Amino acid sequence: MRVLIVEDEKGLATEIKEFLEKEEYNCDLAITGNEASELIAVNPYDFILLDIGLPDYNGLDLIKEAKEYNSEAYFIIITARGELEDKIKGFDLGADDYLAKPFSLLELLSRVQAITRRKFGQQSSIIHFGNFSLDTIKKYLEYEGQPVDLTKKEYKLLSYLILNKNRVLDRLQLTEHIWGEFYEDDYDSNYIDVHIKNIRKKLAEYDENNWIKTIRGIGYKFEI
Amino acid sequence: MDLPKLKLKSKLALFNALSKVFIVTTLLLLVPWIVSEITIRDTDDLLIRKLDQVIELVDSLGIDAYINMDNEIKAFGSYNILKEEFISIEQLERDTLIDIIQYSQRIIDGELVEYRVLSYSIKESGNQYLIEIGRSISTIARFEQNLKQFAFLFLLLIIIITLIADIAFIQYLLNPFEQIVKKLKNTRHPSSFDYTPVKTKTIDFAYLDETIHSLMYKIEDAFTNEREYISNISHELLTPISIIQSKLDNIIADKTLPDAELLKIMDSKHTLGRLTKMVRTLLMMSRIENEEYLLTEKVELNELIKNVAEEIEDKIHAKNLELKFDLNKSIPAINGNENLLFILIYNLVNNAIRYTQQGHIQIETAIADNQIVLRISDTGIGIRAENLPYLFSRFKNFSNHKDSFGLGLALAKKICDYHKINISVESELEKGTCFTLEFKN
Repeated sequence: MRVLIVEDEKGLATEIKEFLEKEEYNCDLAITGNEASELIAVNPYDFILLDIGLPDYNGLDLIKEAKEYNSEAYFIIITARGELEDKIKGFDLGADDYLAKPFSLLELLSRVQAITRRKFGQQSSIIHFGNFSLDTIKKYLEYEGQPVDLTKKEYKLLSYLILNKNRVLDRLQLTEHIWGEFYEDDYDSNYIDVHIKNIRKKLAEYDENNWIKTIRGIGYKFEI
Repeated sequence: MDLPKLKLKSKLALFNALSKVFIVTTLLLLVPWIVSEITIRDTDDLLIRKLDQVIELVDSLGIDAYINMDNEIKAFGSYNILKEEFISIEQLERDTLIDIIQYSQRIIDGELVEYRVLSYSIKESGNQYLIEIGRSISTIARFEQNLKQFAFLFLLLIIIITLIADIAFIQYLLNPFEQIVKKLKNTRHPSSFDYTPVKTKTIDFAYLDETIHSLMYKIEDAFTNEREYISNISHELLTPISIIQSKLDNIIADKTLPDAELLKIMDSKHTLGRLTKMVRTLLMMSRIENEEYLLTEKVELNELIKNVAEEIEDKIHAKNLELKFDLNKSIPAINGNENLLFILIYNLVNNAIRYTQQGHIQIETAIADNQIVLRISDTGIGIRAENLPYLFSRFKNFSNHKDSFGLGLALAKKICDYHKINISVESELEKGTCFTLEFKN
């Protein structure tokens, strides 16, 4: 996967690059709109992460431009303003997702993965663990063909843990993923604990495996 | 002295009316006296003119034409039939000089009649004569009455005309002033102030208008600056926050990090999360102030409440609370911004959940006095009465509360103001809190 990161804030751009490279993404950096414009014209990208608040370029114009040369590329728009209009315009121009600054890198990664799954019709949208199977497109969990009754939030939480399997997710990341912009400033992390407890209880009805590990003081990890 | 508060126009009109009443009363008291003075003078003048005529006649015709010397009674008298006037000439015994005008009574045809009488003595043919000319008081009184009536009518007319003229003039004169007051009354916010100058030829009003305009400009400017400042600063803050967060994420992703360090970083992330939420809320508030949100969406409140409930039900279950509904199905759709209204209701319900340890939270919609009313009540810990007035202020610290209400309610208030929703709160300690929203449109 080849990714272009267009972000005028160098500090942020390098962090994104470092993180995505650990995840085996091949990243290019563009600090200005002109740089980005040149890179887009020359290289085929799978993903373009675009900060639309560039000082030298209208980010939305850049999408139009990129669509000419890189019609296959997927766009994730990054903005610090979070204006709804920009968001809508961005989607109109063909952006695939939208992230408001600040976002967690894990959230960025999961958005990238989600788009990949959606667009590339990934090998399988179904993830198996034990005798469970999680359908990430139809969004439900089954045990040997029997649907497991999960609430929307429980499903969201479990699938997030599974998609980031073997990685420790902290409560903040989980909260942010589940409640999005509504997550609280006093972030009631115990809600996550309650949800995890309920999910464990529901999974335990089917098998004895402790899928979700508690990492003390930090959060949870789904182990396969 | 406690005078009632009145408009300047009314005060001036009132003062005018009062001063006129005063003048009228004075005149009413004086008119009878003046009129009688005038009539007396007038009568006296008349009597004197008549006397001159009589003397002329006597001079030309001789006294004999009037007084028969042969007669026992050396006198002459003439009355008109209605006894309004009389003239009498009689010889005086002694040489006495008489020249007076006075009231006196005469018996004529057996009837006592009051007269104003001019008595005058003349010497004629060696004899002293007394000429008396009288005019009956009732005649004078009638004349006086007429005069009085006329005077009153005239006065009344003058007063009515001047009063109307005064009020009209005051109205005309104060019109620019009223316009200035109206402009101020119509201004909820400096940005909505009407800057068209008021037309006036009165220097003071023009000055007042100009001064208000320049002050409004300054206030508006200050407002705009503050809004832009908050908007810019929020924006500027989000980028460094984003960098720090990414750096922390990268550190956490490093699997070789010892647990102790990891915990410290988690703590920093937590703090950063709070900061983020705060900056985002501030940004949203300044965006509302900048009127960046459209209010043209048709929003079904009951639908919206259900969406909020769906979003928040996990929190309700996690705390073993109950979410009750009492929704009026017939409430009409309202105009507004769905996103903002969602946040408003979400914040209020979320707040209720946060401060309720047991019991329930109730969401109610109703129509009262043609207004849509939305109530969110809980059975929580309640809010101290002394804190209620500051509930919607930004960053108000409550000394007796562990954590402040932060920005959530300030944002709620801002959204309400933007939608012209009246928000109020009632609370009883240890019993619960109830937020009431009244939709004005």
